[in-house]
Amino acid sequence: MAPSGTAAKRALPSKESGLFKEVLNLYETRQLKKGLKTADQVLKKFPEHGETLCMKGLILTHMGRREEGIELVKKGVRLDLTSHIVWHVFGLIQKGEKNYEEALKSYTQALKFDKENMNILRDAAHLQTQLRLFDGLVETRHTLLRLRPNLRQNWIGLAVAYHLNGSLREAKRVLEHYESTLKNIPDYDVEHSEVLLYHIRILEELGDYQEALNLLDVNAKSRAIIDRTAIMEFRARLLSKQGEHDNAEQTWQALIEQNPDSYEYYRGYFSNRGIDLDNITDNTREKALQSLRDFSSQLPRAAAPRRLALDVALGDDFKALAEPYLFSGLDKGIPSLFADIKSLYRNNDKQQVIASIVETIREQSAAQSPQPTTESEPPTTYLWTLYFLAQHYSHTSDYKRALSLLDEALGHTPTLPELLMYKARVLKRLGDPYGAARSMDEARVLDLQDRFLNTKCAKYRLRAGLEEEAQELLGLFTKKDAPSPGADLEDMQSLLFLTEDAGSHQRNGAYGLALKKYHAVQKVFNELEDDQYDFHGYSLRRFTLNIYMNLIPWEDRLRSHPAYVRSAIAASRIYVQLHDDPSLASRSSSLSGLSDAEKKAKKKAKKALQKVQEETKKAVATTSTNEDKGLEPGPPKDDDPTGSKLLEHAGALERAWKWLLPLVTLAEDNIDAQIAIYDVAIRRSKYLQAIKALKRAKILNATYPDLHVRLVDFRKRVSSLSQPPPEPIGSVVKAAVTELIPEEVSLETYNSQYVQHHSTSGKAILTSTKVLQILGSPVSEIESAAFGSLNPEVTLDIETALDIQELLQTIKSSRASEFRLACNKKFELSTVFKSPNELAELRRKAFATAVAEEEQRKQEEVS
Amino acid sequence: MNIRLARIDDLTGMQACNLQNLPENYTMRYYLYHALTWPQLSYVAEDHKGRIVGYILAKMEEDVGSDDEPHGHVTSISVLRSYRRLGLAKRLMIQSQEAMATIYRASYVSLHVRKSNRAALSLYKDTLGFTVKDIEKKYYADGEDAYAMRLSLKHLAR
Repeated sequence: MAPSGTAAKRALPSKESGLFKEVLNLYETRQLKKGLKTADQVLKKFPEHGETLCMKGLILTHMGRREEGIELVKKGVRLDLTSHIVWHVFGLIQKGEKNYEEALKSYTQALKFDKENMNILRDAAHLQTQLRLFDGLVETRHTLLRLRPNLRQNWIGLAVAYHLNGSLREAKRVLEHYESTLKNIPDYDVEHSEVLLYHIRILEELGDYQEALNLLDVNAKSRAIIDRTAIMEFRARLLSKQGEHDNAEQTWQALIEQNPDSYEYYRGYFSNRGIDLDNITDNTREKALQSLRDFSSQLPRAAAPRRLALDVALGDDFKALAEPYLFSGLDKGIPSLFADIKSLYRNNDKQQVIASIVETIREQSAAQSPQPTTESEPPTTYLWTLYFLAQHYSHTSDYKRALSLLDEALGHTPTLPELLMYKARVLKRLGDPYGAARSMDEARVLDLQDRFLNTKCAKYRLRAGLEEEAQELLGLFTKKDAPSPGADLEDMQSLLFLTEDAGSHQRNGAYGLALKKYHAVQKVFNELEDDQYDFHGYSLRRFTLNIYMNLIPWEDRLRSHPAYVRSAIAASRIYVQLHDDPSLASRSSSLSGLSDAEKKAKKKAKKALQKVQEETKKAVATTSTNEDKGLEPGPPKDDDPTGSKLLEHAGALERAWKWLLPLVTLAEDNIDAQIAIYDVAIRRSKYLQAIKALKRAKILNATYPDLHVRLVDFRKRVSSLSQPPPEPIGSVVKAAVTELIPEEVSLETYNSQYVQHHSTSGKAILTSTKVLQILGSPVSEIESAAFGSLNPEVTLDIETALDIQELLQTIKSSRASEFRLACNKKFELSTVFKSPNELAELRRKAFATAVAEEEQRKQEEVS
Repeated sequence: MNIRLARIDDLTGMQACNLQNLPENYTMRYYLYHALTWPQLSYVAEDHKGRIVGYILAKMEEDVGSDDEPHGHVTSISVLRSYRRLGLAKRLMIQSQEAMATIYRASYVSLHVRKSNRAALSLYKDTLGFTVKDIEKKYYADGEDAYAMRLSLKHLAR
């Protein structure tokens, strides 16, 4: 390649030069077909013309002939390395592939040869924002403003760039300058109003409260700012910060009147009066209570002041307020009443008062309404009281009582879905997932139009491992033309479905499919991250700067979302298991040949693949149409329908680490995340990372059972190293080992000390059993430790019992089924400790009846 | 329940709530488009734990014909079944309407509902005061008709 002399090669005779310009125009207006033809005309005579090749490639990519198009673009770039057009085109392609870093490099290259190209500069600014390269962004925005100072958004763009770069003073200066140049602002200009609010926000962030207030007042008065709610919110906050408490109080009051159910407004109102609603003291209680009573009578429809008063009041005051609150809620049949007041249970006295009030209401209403509700009459207070009490007793772990209350209520009114939904929840807690799913199904068929019931029911089926039965249900509400219900939910970014479905596969031992669903979760978050790109330009054009400035930090913390954190931890656990025991992969897929779910997945993928192939064929065949397919590649074909590639042993830890990396900073307070980070880091011999995670976990909860196992694991791994890690890491590791577990204690002693300290905790017993396994203790010793969990004084929950059972199975203990039977007896209403045969029978029964009932119902509806 | 303006970090909760309740669903992009174009119009209801239990996703109609007035449009509104009977939908709607009328001078607000969705129809008609303006044939992807409904906001004009 000879870049010298390319400029000469670039020049075209006037005819072709005209044609090339036409190609550019045709592309801009997306007349792709014509553009392609015109480009070919140029290329016929000048087949090596780089810029034309690039344009042709770009057009072909838009038309869906991606590979061919990109090939041409690359060739074009090689042929004319000093043309801004070829680099611009290459940048566009890379941006379409979401390869922002490479795209920015191409744009930078393009700018070398055309320093003042507005389009390229703007795109570069967006890329710099996406990549958070704010120094460069400020520079680019400066250039744009210098080139076109008459464009309003170029001023705003520079202010935002300074703001993002942390230079608030500079941002302020730019806005001041901008505002002083404005002329003839129309009335009711939302855009101008937003800019002024943005200016005030910057002043508030700078702490220039008086200046902010002045700007606010002047522009509110002249009606240049038209968002009344925003005016009042800024005003109330700024006056409070300025110490103008009387004026502030009036504004807070006005806000409350406008939206009497905003908790923030009450918090603001009280905080302005020196009362912290979340930390009421004996000094503030009476004052707060009085105000809340006043608000309640001034705003009879508002729910917030009544509910807040329950947080604040104590003793007789509490009782006097709780009685009408609870009665009215039960009388109106508010299903969320218990969920609403549950947080009051943190205070024991309040819990008892509530229980006794509701028990009294039950006695009274039972006397009034002994007759079962008929279909024409709404459910009575009595019924809602039973519903409330069932939740109350379930909350206090008195599940039997909860169930009998629900059965009483259902005898009264069998057609209220809420009762069956709650029954399902109690059964789930009792360890009867099939019964729970069945009860939820009974609720569902009472209102088949309600997607909420459908979703819940599907979730319960997934919890019970009933994969196909769940999909069937979900399909009642997903798009009919989607390849499958799951595919529609995945397209719609349903994190609930993806995480539940992944969990279901995981419990069923289909690790490949589980990982596939977790990776679908990861894909959703990647999409959410990419989504911001278009708004870097859009928000400036629309002048919606305040919310845009909230978008950026939100995107930066996106992966602190619970669904991401949970999926990352769960996926990394599978990868760690796989790393430790590669046979997991073969067990997962060849347990019984292929599981039904896997077979289905394969079939589905085959279909989808066919569709993609047909579409590609069509795309090639239909270059004659003008349809613009954009620059983003279509969905990649699924060449791994069962997730078996994800289960490949090689690279498992790297895949896990990719999941966990964002959690290092975004989940510092999540002990499970820290432990997951340790597990992967130590296996990758990243000692410093592992130590950091362990120390962090120890700060969060030093006696956490899962941490105990890791502390032992760490010392054991380090002591079995053939040679210590190289300096300076070696001494850090050595110091950490002694810091985390005292050197003079043997691991066996350390473990028995731990279990002695927590002798009544089932989880601690599980943990110490795991440690015995790590230390290679004899099976009989592990068994006797495990059986210790069954002692009556030990608190053992079902989940922990299941883990212990699994551990006994893993070490091939001959007492595993003895343990299972003991649990089956201990958790008398559970089904999870039944034998596999019994479980199959339960599963069959639960659904055979539900299906039959639904059929019958449908027939009744028809006739 | 706390009623307040929707923030960026509410959008995932709104999307989850919508997916749980309604058959018409949208990707995050569409929520972002609403929030970053009309940041004052969407509201949420949240429980004590900060979970979104109800929302209104609203916008201004962008293509207003020469014979029409500026007006708002409710893209989606719903409340989780377990949080019904608290008047949350109405509270959300009132806040959004106020903003449509005062900031964008909307003279009415419109919405679409599936002909078969009796529960929603009754909410819009009886609780929120909408009236049926028109029937739009095959409005939904699956071929179902929609009622086009309207509610005047003239009383909120300033």
